[in-house]
Amino acid sequence: MVDITDTLDCRGEVCPYPDVKSKRKAKKMNSGEVLEILIDYPLSAERIPETMKSMGNEVLSLDKVGNSEWKIVVKIK
Amino acid sequence: MAIDIVVVLIPGLIIGIIFGFVLQRGRFCMNSAFRDIILLKEYKLAKSVALAILVSMLGFAIMSFGGIITLNPKQFAWGANIVGGLIFGVGMVLAAGCASGTTYRVGEGMMGSLVALLGFSGGAYFTKFGALNPIAKFLQDNTKITNLDGSALTLFGDLTPIFMLIIGIVGIALIAYFWIWRELQAKKRENKPMFDFSNFGQKTFKQGWHWTVTAIAIGIIAWFAYVSSAAAGRNYPLGITGGWVGWNKFWNTGVDSALGWETWLVIGIVIGAFISAIIAKEFKLRTPKHAKTIVIQFIGGLAMGFGAITAMGCNIGNILSGFPLLSLGSLLAGAFIILGCWLMAYLLFMWRKD
Repeated sequence: MVDITDTLDCRGEVCPYPDVKSKRKAKKMNSGEVLEILIDYPLSAERIPETMKSMGNEVLSLDKVGNSEWKIVVKIK
Repeated sequence: MAIDIVVVLIPGLIIGIIFGFVLQRGRFCMNSAFRDIILLKEYKLAKSVALAILVSMLGFAIMSFGGIITLNPKQFAWGANIVGGLIFGVGMVLAAGCASGTTYRVGEGMMGSLVALLGFSGGAYFTKFGALNPIAKFLQDNTKITNLDGSALTLFGDLTPIFMLIIGIVGIALIAYFWIWRELQAKKRENKPMFDFSNFGQKTFKQGWHWTVTAIAIGIIAWFAYVSSAAAGRNYPLGITGGWVGWNKFWNTGVDSALGWETWLVIGIVIGAFISAIIAKEFKLRTPKHAKTIVIQFIGGLAMGFGAITAMGCNIGNILSGFPLLSLGSLLAGAFIILGCWLMAYLLFMWRKD
């Protein structure tokens, strides 16, 4: 298990806030820290990992945790 | 009953269900597609939109030469196209979804989209038949330019069908080479199989589709939609706005002739997206986290409704169906839908950097 530095709960946010907020959050975090993102919007479950990778961050996991709910864990570069 | 079940209701509903299923699997929303070009520098959905338009265009051209359909591009009225398109584009960012995106998300259980849809349907109805109609009519009547015989202006005039064929073929070839082929080459370099058909069921029903699959599916649906819709007396491919206006008219007046092919199509989209979301375990009744969001989505929906009727089409009528027909009015309206989307996305998400 990795230690989660911070959790961003984007459940109930409409498009594109989950993406925009996780991008902003990731930018503010320091190298080596781990961000956990909770979302319930299908498109973001595909888009956030892509965005995080293109920012150079490492996507540690993408898990579907329930009906239209996902948990993404990202390690900041 | 004045509703023809065999020609109008069932075909509209079936095509709608398939369309809704594909929209949900492909997360096919033009608001996301256009907005993400500037916001996230993410182009998959935009590529999907481009390919869907080209597949439609090629099919429409061939069907037109074969005498199966009669091309029916929308009229050009620059004032209406510009104002309506721009307001629609601004509205869809606020509503968090275009006309098709908002419709299919209702099937996913997103109550914010349901509120946006009510705004959209109302705004469109007020503009088509109600108090806002004079504004739309003024713009449409005073800036309309047609061919000498009164037919709609298209990009290449009488040569438009042959150019649809050429643009369709060349465009698909360019996309295949520059986007699809390079994607496959990149996979090859990473030593991944170029085509992976394992877990086919899982990929079809549980995961989001690759952008090419969504695009080709939507293009083919558009061909069938054109034939089916024309047979029902509405000579045009896919559309959303008219469907929701039709329901509003029916509820307000009780006139069942308002329930045309397009009204069944939009209901079908909601049902199709619902089925798809249930299978993929992506259905959840949910409300936006902030109450303010619902208000903004409603206002966005109203703006979309006004814009769509003024511009004589939403993103489906003008872009997905209008671009393939090379209607000058649709191309102008579509350009301003994109511009409105970018303007609002910039103001909302990019202007204030934090």
